Amino acid sequence: MNRIQELFARRGVKSIFASLLSIVIGLFIGLLLLFGFNAPYAVGGFFKILNTGFSSAYNFSKVLYQAAPLILTGLSVGFAFKTGLFNIGASGQYTMGAFFGLVAAIQFQLPWYVAVLAAMIGGAVWGLFPGLFKALFNVNEVITSIMFNWISLFLVNLLLANMPMMLANYWGAANPDRTASVATANSNALIPTLGLDKLLHSDYMNISIFLAIGVAVICYIILNKTTFGYELKACGYNRNASVYAGINAKRNIVLSMVIAGALAGLGGAISYLNGPVQYVIKKEILMMGFNGIPVALLAAANPIGIIFSGFFISYIQIGGNALQPEFSSEIINIIIAAIIYLSAVSLLIKELITRILRKKKKEELEALDQNGEGVAK
Amino acid sequence: MNILIDIISSTVLFAVPLMLVALGGMFTERSGVINIALEGIMIVGALCSCLFMSYLDGIGYGPAHPLFSMLVAILIAAVAGGIFSLLLAFAAVNLKADQVIGGTALNILAPSLAIVITWAVQGQGETTILIPTWARITRATMGLGEGGGFVSDLIYKNLYLTTPIAFLVLILSIILLYKTRFGLRLRSCGEHPQAADSVGINVYKMRYAGVAISGVLAGVGGLAFTMAAGSGFQATVAGYGFLALAVMIFGNWKPVNILGASIFFALFKIIGSYSSALPFLPDFNNVNSSEYIYLMLPYVVTMIVLVLTSKRSAAPKAEGIPYDKGKR
Amino acid sequence: MSEYIIEMIDITKEFPGVKANDDITLQIQKGEVHALLGENGAGKSTLMSVLFGLYQPDQGHIKIDGQPVEIRNPNDANALHIGMVHQHFKLVECFTVLENIILGVEPNDLGFLKKKEAREKVVSLSEKYGLSVDPDAVVSDITVGMQQRVEILKMLYRDNDILIFDEPTAVLTPQEINELMEIMRQFADEGKSILFISHKLNEIMAVADRCTVLRRGKCIGTVNTDDTTVEELSRMMVGRDVSFSVEKSETEIGDTVLSVRNMTASGASKKEAVRDVSFDVRGGEILCIAGIEGNGQSELIYALTGLDKINQGKVELCGQDITRATIRNRSKSGMSHIPEDRHKYGLILDFSLEQNLVLERYWQPEFQSRGFIKDGAVRQYAEGLIEKYDIRSGQGPVTDTRSMSGGNQQKAIVAREIDKNPELLVAVQPTRGLDVGAIEYIHKQLVAQRDAGKAVLLMSLELDEVMDVSDRILVMYEGEIVGEFDPDTTTVDELGLYMVGAKRQQAYQQKEAKA
Repeated sequence: MNRIQELFARRGVKSIFASLLSIVIGLFIGLLLLFGFNAPYAVGGFFKILNTGFSSAYNFSKVLYQAAPLILTGLSVGFAFKTGLFNIGASGQYTMGAFFGLVAAIQFQLPWYVAVLAAMIGGAVWGLFPGLFKALFNVNEVITSIMFNWISLFLVNLLLANMPMMLANYWGAANPDRTASVATANSNALIPTLGLDKLLHSDYMNISIFLAIGVAVICYIILNKTTFGYELKACGYNRNASVYAGINAKRNIVLSMVIAGALAGLGGAISYLNGPVQYVIKKEILMMGFNGIPVALLAAANPIGIIFSGFFISYIQIGGNALQPEFSSEIINIIIAAIIYLSAVSLLIKELITRILRKKKKEELEALDQNGEGVAK
Repeated sequence: MNILIDIISSTVLFAVPLMLVALGGMFTERSGVINIALEGIMIVGALCSCLFMSYLDGIGYGPAHPLFSMLVAILIAAVAGGIFSLLLAFAAVNLKADQVIGGTALNILAPSLAIVITWAVQGQGETTILIPTWARITRATMGLGEGGGFVSDLIYKNLYLTTPIAFLVLILSIILLYKTRFGLRLRSCGEHPQAADSVGINVYKMRYAGVAISGVLAGVGGLAFTMAAGSGFQATVAGYGFLALAVMIFGNWKPVNILGASIFFALFKIIGSYSSALPFLPDFNNVNSSEYIYLMLPYVVTMIVLVLTSKRSAAPKAEGIPYDKGKR
Repeated sequence: MSEYIIEMIDITKEFPGVKANDDITLQIQKGEVHALLGENGAGKSTLMSVLFGLYQPDQGHIKIDGQPVEIRNPNDANALHIGMVHQHFKLVECFTVLENIILGVEPNDLGFLKKKEAREKVVSLSEKYGLSVDPDAVVSDITVGMQQRVEILKMLYRDNDILIFDEPTAVLTPQEINELMEIMRQFADEGKSILFISHKLNEIMAVADRCTVLRRGKCIGTVNTDDTTVEELSRMMVGRDVSFSVEKSETEIGDTVLSVRNMTASGASKKEAVRDVSFDVRGGEILCIAGIEGNGQSELIYALTGLDKINQGKVELCGQDITRATIRNRSKSGMSHIPEDRHKYGLILDFSLEQNLVLERYWQPEFQSRGFIKDGAVRQYAEGLIEKYDIRSGQGPVTDTRSMSGGNQQKAIVAREIDKNPELLVAVQPTRGLDVGAIEYIHKQLVAQRDAGKAVLLMSLELDEVMDVSDRILVMYEGEIVGEFDPDTTTVDELGLYMVGAKRQQAYQQKEAKA
């Protein structure tokens, strides 16, 4: 009993446990929903959610393909979290990143690594605004980010509508409602596959997942091993004390949002600089940015943990797509919403664990006392 | 003249949901809880009431008794919104969770839930719930004949039951917040919950009340928005829930200012659609899809306003901080 | 009819990790002024919170007027005519005085407020007891003294007969303290029962009839103030004889380390909080800035340390002009700052102990290389400080700072700031909220700095500390320096007169004009 208790006393373990609990409960709620909507297919549907990701190389490649931007938007939200900010604007930054990346690729016919860089700049610029407004005017970054999410949506749609070379019909397709296929317009801009697409029999597969993992590792190093990361965390945990210590809190808030924006923008690039995908012009905000939130929360904003939670969210989403036609794939979003709701509660779960441990320790001490073995220190 | 009627009535039409939801947000924040979930609550309120109206339409009751049916639909929107908002209240008060995260969860839950339920009721793939025509109040509905003048045209151009109800809500809000015991206690919970607790006020109950009020108002606001948007319920309120937050902040958490802010923001949205007809507005003729310029405008204006007014903010001091009796 | 109006019998209350009240019995007579004495953390506030219904005791019971009662919340307490004025006022800043008084017991008509009735009652109570207030003033605009009167009126409005005061004199001028004591006696003569919590022995001796002493959660005993002395009370409070003065030897005064000339600063508010202040601090001396809270001392320190801007004037440290310098540069020039609020400014509670210990130094080449932190160096340094300054923590350098006790948190800050070997150590309320052992320790460290020839600028609200520790005293009143004193030749009463602006030193004003 003792070694398990010691294990649970560590902060990291408590977080992992709380996250796993949120996942289990979330999936269970999903199961209940499946029963509620179409009982005879419920169990089958549930297994589809759990199995589809690994069921074929193609499906697995889709999991990896989608995990990459999820990891990046998760890093975006998580990085901002660690520095005390809630980056609900990851969606707008993601959109801007996609836009800049596609423009570099299609309009200016640049190779993929330049397009990726352009995307990061686009996202960074979009992250600059909430950071700047918070630092200089103390406007809540949540509101600013929400406003800019919508501004980016309309702005990008407006610009695309007025850039004929960007649209699919310029390159021979029938529809002007989406951007051109990157494969057709500029195959140099496609993110390299290094043969992985042949290996997994899927034109979704490329090196993006490795890029994402690499970036996650870099984020981990920055946050935990550098003075820059130390300063960012100080500002996030206690802005007043960081000012007292001589840290430029305003500069750090802005930098933090810029980095978060660049991360989300990178996510946009790797989503769209891909063979089969095109940016569709419509009036809905892209969900990818918001899905970064559960990814970050499940991992308690730890960059390495985000690799796993991004993979998990992608996995169940692929499973969700396979639910049709018996169920609407939106059920997965309900599960994800439940997981977010529960992880907001994770603090409580951690406190509960601490309290249980303390009680056990007290009982042990009292037991020893009664046996006359003296009080253990 | 017709254009003036169009503009004024459309502005009022779109200002109503903004005002209702912003007033709701005001009540939650005054009690100390940040309510990011207004968007989701609007969707849930609209979903339930539109389904109900569609049902009434189907059985023929709706067209026969339009006003009464609308009243019940509004009540359903209110109750649905209120119940959904309890999820946020529970997370914020009992579980002491981060209120922004809890709200975000509800915002992701609502549209998905709406789509799933709509498919279940209307059949797969049918995501739109149409608003029946009897929802709109015309001279005929009120038993009046044809005719009337400018004023009559103005009133009946875009009239739904939610409009007069919204103004009633505004007046009731002012009275409730400043002239009643409940209002005084609610405000104390948002400013200094320890003080309220020390005089025996149940802060937890008050915060539940604040959130529930916002749920009720946002639910009705969702219905009002859907009717204003015109094409039926499509599991979205196009960011109006967030715009209402901006209206609330711009309105400095005070009812009368919120009225002004709602009209201001609605006006910007409407002006966009009428830009070609109004000579003093830029035309953007050579720009494709110029509608996006005007769609962006309310949000850009909001940002400018937020930056300029950030110093004078009267935000409730204790908002967003979960109340913990144990902490001294 | 019991002889006691209040009986708290065998009360025990535990919080995670600490037994705040351990089997305490307290008995109050009707119409007496009863003091509850103890150091910080002795359990006084907890016991009173139990009486007021904010907490429920784990064991024990309460009797009011001989009848056993259960007090589950402040409403129950109020129904038993028990009222409490808290140490940190529980007033809603944006409400008016009247609204604050009636909150929770509003006279109403089906829910609609009836302020006229309330106003009449408040005015008559205020006149009866001489508690002058303006019912329509907004609380954030009135003085601290008036805010306390509002809190008292809250109790009287509710017809409370049992009045609890938690450390009421901490924020008052000596004049206001006398007024308060008169009011308490007036209440007692009327038959109301007063309970007041304090650790100020002189006040207790002056106004209380009896005193109960708590130490570490246990009740040590109850005595009549007429039959006891300050020394005996303090021995009961602390458990050992306490030396009331600090050991100080003569030192050589060195060169001027800090020079402030004509400083004007506003701080957070628009009006000038610091007005045309000039003074010097030299090596080998402890200069103390004394005054009632709210007379500009905090703003002076914030401006000096760089947390706020200086409007006008000049500040030089070791000959270098630091008037517009960044905080980092001030630190590099030789300034250390032990801040007023250790949780707000001094520590990052979510960091580990070692991370906090290098808060001022992590950027130095000793601890980082090309932007990467040298974990080993940080660990070694932290272990050294922990040992040298006897900082107690659960798991050493990796301890969660949040879990450490207040005293040890303060020790960590002191260790960090002193180890920088600063030419000027700025210490603001360094012993606030600490137990006597920790206070002794920190005073020793301050004196050690001074003995080593460094300059120490101390800001304190505790006159005992001011008199014991400093070599020179400056009194601040309404943003200006109104007098300079030598602790060996002045008295607490004389300081008090200057602190309330009743007197001003002509000589000091002339000295300023010359400099």
